[in-house]
Amino acid sequence: MSALSAHVLDEIRELPAKYPQPRSAVMPALDLAQEELGYLTPEAMSEVATALELDPGYVEGVATFYSLFHLTPVGKHHFYVCTNLSCAICGSAEIVRRFQETTGVKAPDEVTPDGLFSYEEVECLGACEYAPMMRLDQRFHYDLTPEKIDELIAERRAGRTASPSPAAPPSPAATPPRKRGGEAPPSPAATPPRERGGEAPPRKRRAAAPPSPAATPPPKRGGTTRKKKADG
Amino acid sequence: MAELRGSSGDAPQNLLTRWFGTPNLHTLDVYESKAGGYTALRKALFDMAPADITNEVKTSGLRGRGGAGFATGVKWSFINRDAPGPKYVVVNADESEPGTAKDRYIMENSPHMLVEGILIAAYAVGANQAWVYMRGEYDEPRRMLVEAIDEARAKGYIGPRPMGKDYPLDIQLYRGHGAYICGEETALLESLEGKRAQPRSRPPFPAVKGAWGRPTLLNNVETLATVPTILNMGGAGYAKVGTAKNPGTRLLTVSGNVRKPGVYEVEIGKTFRHVIMELAGGPPEGRKVKVFWPGGSSAPVLPESMLDVTTDAEALAAAKSMGGSGGVIVMDDSHCVVEAAHRLLQFYAHESCGKCTPCRVGQDWAVRTYERILANEGSQIDLDILRSVSDGLQNGRSLCGLGDSGGWVIDSTLRHFRDEYEDHALRHECNVGGPSGAARHLPMNGEEIAHA
Repeated sequence: MSALSAHVLDEIRELPAKYPQPRSAVMPALDLAQEELGYLTPEAMSEVATALELDPGYVEGVATFYSLFHLTPVGKHHFYVCTNLSCAICGSAEIVRRFQETTGVKAPDEVTPDGLFSYEEVECLGACEYAPMMRLDQRFHYDLTPEKIDELIAERRAGRTASPSPAAPPSPAATPPRKRGGEAPPSPAATPPRERGGEAPPRKRRAAAPPSPAATPPPKRGGTTRKKKADG
Repeated sequence: MAELRGSSGDAPQNLLTRWFGTPNLHTLDVYESKAGGYTALRKALFDMAPADITNEVKTSGLRGRGGAGFATGVKWSFINRDAPGPKYVVVNADESEPGTAKDRYIMENSPHMLVEGILIAAYAVGANQAWVYMRGEYDEPRRMLVEAIDEARAKGYIGPRPMGKDYPLDIQLYRGHGAYICGEETALLESLEGKRAQPRSRPPFPAVKGAWGRPTLLNNVETLATVPTILNMGGAGYAKVGTAKNPGTRLLTVSGNVRKPGVYEVEIGKTFRHVIMELAGGPPEGRKVKVFWPGGSSAPVLPESMLDVTTDAEALAAAKSMGGSGGVIVMDDSHCVVEAAHRLLQFYAHESCGKCTPCRVGQDWAVRTYERILANEGSQIDLDILRSVSDGLQNGRSLCGLGDSGGWVIDSTLRHFRDEYEDHALRHECNVGGPSGAARHLPMNGEEIAHA
């Protein structure tokens, strides 16, 4: 039994023809794998390698280099919070703190028990005129405040409650969520990564770890009184 | 789309952003009917020889808007148009220099302007295929650009016979996956080829051996988006704007402690005082500008006393900085420069690709030194270490500029804010925001630092 479903592997095998040289297909292929599983398991990477006729170590080498490839489970709604300088001096530390308080997630490799939420602090996302900002569910969210973070979390929790099969994870909760049991078709590119069940097992983060908690940038201090006006 | 923050409308300096904010400018229809879109492409394909186009760009004096500021027309002329086999145009849409959002601003507002520029460039250098390498986090710009390319294809502007001209042109997108280093042109090429993005040594330059080993023109989004304007105004007309050596306008992203952050199109040669205090509204009430990064986080910092430096490359070089990516980050006097430098060194350490030892080791070394200093465990030795690590990072000791960039942050902040460093390292205090002790602001305690 393979980690990736047959149609995804078929899609992956068709990718190399789109590029002047087949190797360029590796990242688009990893994208498809991650879209199906939520993160890249060793099995998935090795199946991608086989499908592309590449060495598994090579594929893993590429996957570990780029920060948008997840090697450990992430929540259905993964908050990519920018904490680089422009956002840091506009209060991104408060944003991270509020996310942690509201969700109970304390570190970038944790996922809430319901599989809904996780976060990471990321480098500049290129929307500095709207600082502090973040990426969530494949769009940018601007002019963040702690209150907005609470709203975004509440909306997503409510959405889940409204869904037909709220809490049932697709596989036994103890198993790492590596497979979706084939029946679920791959979501279209525009929809957020699928939901996964099971609490994330504590795992070692890959070498290029994001800044640790100690790396949290300075909290906003007294003087930063710029209000986020609509006419800004 | 979020409300526009930055330039738009009819102002003399708005060469690129004149029509931004026009409803549906992102559609081919409006771009063409309202903004005069694709007239430059028609002119290029039917009224100009490829060499004339390149000459026109040379005459304009346009310099690359990605960071290095190389003369665009000269770069185009490096591609041997008559060499047999495929040639490529690769568009650097990986915008990830901290404090820079201008390429996003262009792609979200007027994606066809970029498409038109790409097609003109491809025709000029003898390429039939262009690849846009866009950072993976740009979901909205990607959707907009894909839509624009599809529209242009449906209309027959992209395809085997664009506008009826017997010269096939095609544009494809390639999605990046989160690595700052991909903004460096040879690292970008490695990534496009499906590898870890580690810079190549040069020569050979991409113009000779670029994407998939073929001659390749690499340009930034803003650079190519400026090309239609140049053909419409004429190279000589464009060269009249800006300064003699650095003509034209630039899209400066102003962020941080300002009242009106935004992406402002500015005639090159205006002062940073104009950009920061007038366009961006200056610092918040009761605060003063302390320091600004004139061209992204990699551009050496300038203190408030240098607000009258102008935005052209020559003036910035004289001030020991650079125009870089045009990302103007403004920090007011409530923030500590040592902490800001620490945050940026964390960034460079995190993004170092690991290929060159000075960068891989040096950035990390600097971070650890900053951590000691900010944990009030610093001494003169740590200031000396910063000095020497900064020297070790600079002067081309690494294959690309990422190494130098970290060094420049250390070097320039030390040069202009020695006092703040000494407060932290020698006296174990921070005097930012008020008299000593009144505004202690370290976000972290020693314990957190210990296991950083």
